[in-house]
Amino acid sequence: MKVVEINDVYKTYHDTEVEVKAINGITLSFEKGDFAVVVGPSGSGKTTLLNLIGGLDQPTGGEIIVAGHRLSELRPSELIDFRMEHVGFVFQSYNLIPVLTAEENVGFIMNLQKWPKEKRKARTDELLLSVGLADRHKSRPSQLSGGQQQRIAVARALAPRPEFILADEPTANLDSKSADTLLDIMEKLNREEEMTFIFSTHDIRVMKRARRVITIEDGRIVSDERINGAS
Amino acid sequence: MITEIAWKNIWRNKTRSLTVIASVAVGVFAGVFAMAAINSSVVQRIDAAVNEELSHIQVNNKDFRSSGDIRNIIRDYDKITSVLKATPGITDITGRVILRGVASTAAKSTGVEINGIDVEKEKEMFTLSGKIIPGTGSYFGPETRGNTVFKPVFIGEKLAKDLNIIRYIITADVIKQLEEKGVPSGVTAKLLPIKDQRYTSDKKFKSAVEDLLTPKEIKKYALSVREAAWSYREGSRIILSFLDMNNVQTGAAFRVCGIFRTNNDILEGTSLFVPIDDLRKLTGMPEGTYHRAIARLENNDMTDEATREIRSNLPDYEVLNWKEIVPDLAMISDMIQQIYGIFMGLILAALAFGIANTMLMAVLERTREIGMLAAIGMNRRKIFSMIMLESIFLSLVGGVAGMAVGEVVIAVTARTGINLVKYSEGMEAIGYSAHLYPTIETQFFVTTAVLIIITGILASIYPARKALKLNPVEALRGEK
Repeated sequence: MKVVEINDVYKTYHDTEVEVKAINGITLSFEKGDFAVVVGPSGSGKTTLLNLIGGLDQPTGGEIIVAGHRLSELRPSELIDFRMEHVGFVFQSYNLIPVLTAEENVGFIMNLQKWPKEKRKARTDELLLSVGLADRHKSRPSQLSGGQQQRIAVARALAPRPEFILADEPTANLDSKSADTLLDIMEKLNREEEMTFIFSTHDIRVMKRARRVITIEDGRIVSDERINGAS
Repeated sequence: MITEIAWKNIWRNKTRSLTVIASVAVGVFAGVFAMAAINSSVVQRIDAAVNEELSHIQVNNKDFRSSGDIRNIIRDYDKITSVLKATPGITDITGRVILRGVASTAAKSTGVEINGIDVEKEKEMFTLSGKIIPGTGSYFGPETRGNTVFKPVFIGEKLAKDLNIIRYIITADVIKQLEEKGVPSGVTAKLLPIKDQRYTSDKKFKSAVEDLLTPKEIKKYALSVREAAWSYREGSRIILSFLDMNNVQTGAAFRVCGIFRTNNDILEGTSLFVPIDDLRKLTGMPEGTYHRAIARLENNDMTDEATREIRSNLPDYEVLNWKEIVPDLAMISDMIQQIYGIFMGLILAALAFGIANTMLMAVLERTREIGMLAAIGMNRRKIFSMIMLESIFLSLVGGVAGMAVGEVVIAVTARTGINLVKYSEGMEAIGYSAHLYPTIETQFFVTTAVLIIITGILASIYPARKALKLNPVEALRGEK
């Protein structure tokens, strides 16, 4: 089942007098349960592609359909609701809310979606357990390591059961052990909850785990490989 | 959740938030306390006017006030009292006979308003009887002096000074007082030849003292000696002259039974009080007639309604309330509200810039975080609310602290008073007390709290709009 469909998408930036084609005619789709990475050199268009899929940015040409929504047809306020309902974001620098505890951060989007308190608590407990931080409910981000913060960020992204998770360089700030732990957790969630993960990364550790590797250069797909038995 | 985040956010940079909170607190305290002090002077002035001089409502013969003619009397006083008694809120009624005349002593004379009063009733309705200067007699005490019955008159301190009803006596107490103040015993010993002698004029006393002291001692101590030896002469004789019912000049000698002191120089200097029967006998006014009926209400707020009702029931009389008799006072009372609005408005406007600046810094520092919030689905309304709530919390915490400190300081100074004795002469000349007892109504705090919240909202608009303009993609990249 297709979660994301990208049809002949272009994204052009006008930086002073220079026209920059960040995405230059990409056609691509992601299936439910994909564990895919988008790789490529800096400036190749990885992050732009993820921003377009996540509804953070609008293409200058082509069309993106996510969970049945044509993103170009959504108004800015509808795009915000779309992101809240359908997309989970994991950022390179964790971006947790520093004044909230771990459980409050995990419950934040569910709170915005007005989940009942009991249901919210149960889901938060379940996710904190899955990311191995069941004992850190009341910890503030400043009391957690980078790896632990990123695990909380993953739990927050997963909490409202989005269609897929977009993770932009999620391991870039982590040491090997923390990165491995995080990737173990993501693989487990992918397996057990059939959650779709789309990464943008330079990190070889992430690429090794991926079951699909899409390479882009100069805003174009140069390869799209499916890998069986990735480790 | 948004409220909780906003509250926690203001404590992220404690020093900065506490600085803003402190500035709001100081501003609000200054506004509240200054207004309490200004308000108190007006409230005290109104209280004094109503309690010492005017009461709430007066009913006059229609032509009396404009002509001052003794013959413009109220003939059907019973009708007036029955209307007054039937008016809701009226608690006391009295009548006065009022004459314009001249008060004279051997030294001086001056124009006065002579009020013939029901001594006992007025003691219940007015506070003048309690304003007597200690040692100057009593409020219509025993009407005899030795075996002689005399007509008593109760006068104000200013009139006593104007009529030179003063004396100088060096008593043993005065000598003791002078020595306590540091006047050498050698100097006080020189004053013994005039001990217990009564001087009724400043000139004579000055001359007597100067005859006893050296020029150096005169320069150094004469003023202290005069101040210590000076006092009022209770029982002094005053001649009151006025026209009787036949428009014939008449008058009589009265003796000062007591001297009162208020903060109102006009009342003290121009009004004196005598028993109503003494005036009736002297003027030939019929029993049961008056020039003015005076009514007191349960509280000041009933004044306008009671006036309307009495006026409609007594169309042939001039019915006036205290606001109409002293319109300047009523106007000042109304103006206080407007002054408060302007005053607090200016303070809060200044504070709003400080709050807006702090919030702007907070928004710019949290660019990436706000971008993340927008990215994961926090809508514009919620982001706007979060920034606005932070601003309101900053204002409100400071405002509540300022009001609390203000309330405590007002409570303390309401007991101790604020002494503006330096300005007493000027203030008392226009009827205001130089001792202020700050007072403020609860409603004032409610209004202030509302104004503070409005300030918080207005101060947040620019920073909140700035937050809404952030592009999530750029904000997450750490750009603006």
